[in-house]
Amino acid sequence: MNAPVLIALGAAVGFISGLFGIGGGFLMTPVLIFLGIPPVVAVASEANHVAASSTSGVISYTRRKAVDFRMGGVLAAGGAVGSFIGVEIFRWLRLLGQADLVVSLSYLIFLGVIGALMFSESLSSILRRRRGEAPKRRKDRRPPWLYGLPFKMRFPRSRLYISVIPPITLGVFVGILSAIMGVGGGFVLVPAMVYILRMPAGVVVGTSLFQIIITTSLTSVLQAGRNQTVDVVLATLLLIGGVLGAQVGARASSRFRAEELRALLALIVLAVGLRMGLGLFFTPAEPFVLMAGNG
Amino acid sequence: MAILVPPEIPPAAVSAALTTTNVRVTSSFRGARIVLYGAVFDPAERPSDVVVIVRGPDAPLRLARKTKVAGIWVNSRPVVFEGAPGFYMAASTKPLGEIASFGTLRRLGAGVDHLAINAPLEERIETRYGVRDVVVSRLGQDYLDWRRAVVRLKEESGLYAADDRGVSFVDKGLFRAEIDLPTAAPIGVYTAEIFLFQNGQPVSRRMRGLTVEKAGIERALYLFAHNRPWSYGLASVAIALAAGWAASVAFRRN
Repeated sequence: MNAPVLIALGAAVGFISGLFGIGGGFLMTPVLIFLGIPPVVAVASEANHVAASSTSGVISYTRRKAVDFRMGGVLAAGGAVGSFIGVEIFRWLRLLGQADLVVSLSYLIFLGVIGALMFSESLSSILRRRRGEAPKRRKDRRPPWLYGLPFKMRFPRSRLYISVIPPITLGVFVGILSAIMGVGGGFVLVPAMVYILRMPAGVVVGTSLFQIIITTSLTSVLQAGRNQTVDVVLATLLLIGGVLGAQVGARASSRFRAEELRALLALIVLAVGLRMGLGLFFTPAEPFVLMAGNG
Repeated sequence: MAILVPPEIPPAAVSAALTTTNVRVTSSFRGARIVLYGAVFDPAERPSDVVVIVRGPDAPLRLARKTKVAGIWVNSRPVVFEGAPGFYMAASTKPLGEIASFGTLRRLGAGVDHLAINAPLEERIETRYGVRDVVVSRLGQDYLDWRRAVVRLKEESGLYAADDRGVSFVDKGLFRAEIDLPTAAPIGVYTAEIFLFQNGQPVSRRMRGLTVEKAGIERALYLFAHNRPWSYGLASVAIALAAGWAASVAFRRN
């Protein structure tokens, strides 16, 4: 794998990640796997790359006061637990020879479902605008179960007073995904923060990036320490392109309408999910798979 | 009293040397070609065949077979194979089957068909690498299929090769062979064995060593990642966070 290709790849994915306000891991990990980098190395090194592009993003969100650090901290506490669990699950799967299967299936299921939901939502809002109808009002009533749970905490920046159980659970879940799929988990975190936690739209992306930095940094250290699968040369080449591309992408994003960007992102998400997962259904050309003896 | 070799004809001998004995793998390593030169000394000039066998360091490996479960293709539980060399090349002046008998080749481990790659024949389940219930072998009837698959997959990645015209005589008694190391060649000590065959029997044997080692920054990183994995992880995260911060600062000024 040569350096200019990896830097260009980092820049292209970085541009997309800046454009849509996402980490870009869901795109980069599959591309690395298609390029022939072993999935276990791609997943672990990519966590490192996501940490870099998220740092670059979170600093500009902090300047706009669009990060709820308290909520981010609670999510990250859950995320830390999730990373530990995820890295151990990944290690166990790798030794059983099933890591590739679980990576492919996770992509197919999560990206397939989220891409489809996002696409139908953004398409209907584009159509509504074309027909000149008023945008659908968001239901502001929060689900009662969110208030029935114990351990309530105040989150002034998000204007919430809710139990810490839902954000911690969400954090754990995203931490596990981060370790298994080599993603930051923004594509799960952002919708969950909007629709489940009912956080104000303005702080969602910044807060999710903040939590992603903590989770992916931890995942990266754990993968290196426990599985020795982080390739620092690979990650560094990717992030040189990635952080630059992300800044350019973030500037370009103001030229597009939000729902059009979402529809485009939904299509990319769907395409990646299908490409990763559909191979599982076709008869393989080579029925045997060789693996290193120590996993 | 029986005299095996008539005294008037001295025994034939082989000698050989590698053009390189130390291959340095840096980040720009794209594989290497090593040339082996050798000479056959035989005053009687009996018909001679030369077989060159290069082996890389042994590495256990695991093989799984894809099976269809509920509509999707999943890996079976991997089977551990022991004693497989990380690199293997057999080159000869003509097909091995024409040089020596099956038994001789098997004894010398000459040719991919005679490699001593073994999965234990009896099924046993043990705890390995901290994972319980690793099936060490349960192949039975399919054993040959699995063994062939190991060789086929290794050949596809350029790590195993057999070339029955790989050794050529360039002049009277003087021969040469090429060893192609792929990018993925494992690190470690390699051996090149050179056999001289006459009448189906190995009459002379020479052994040459070759080391493949990481060099430069690659070597430093490799040692760092394996000797101090936790510090390595922390350092890689520090680089990531610093780069993200630097990019954001650089772009703000513009």
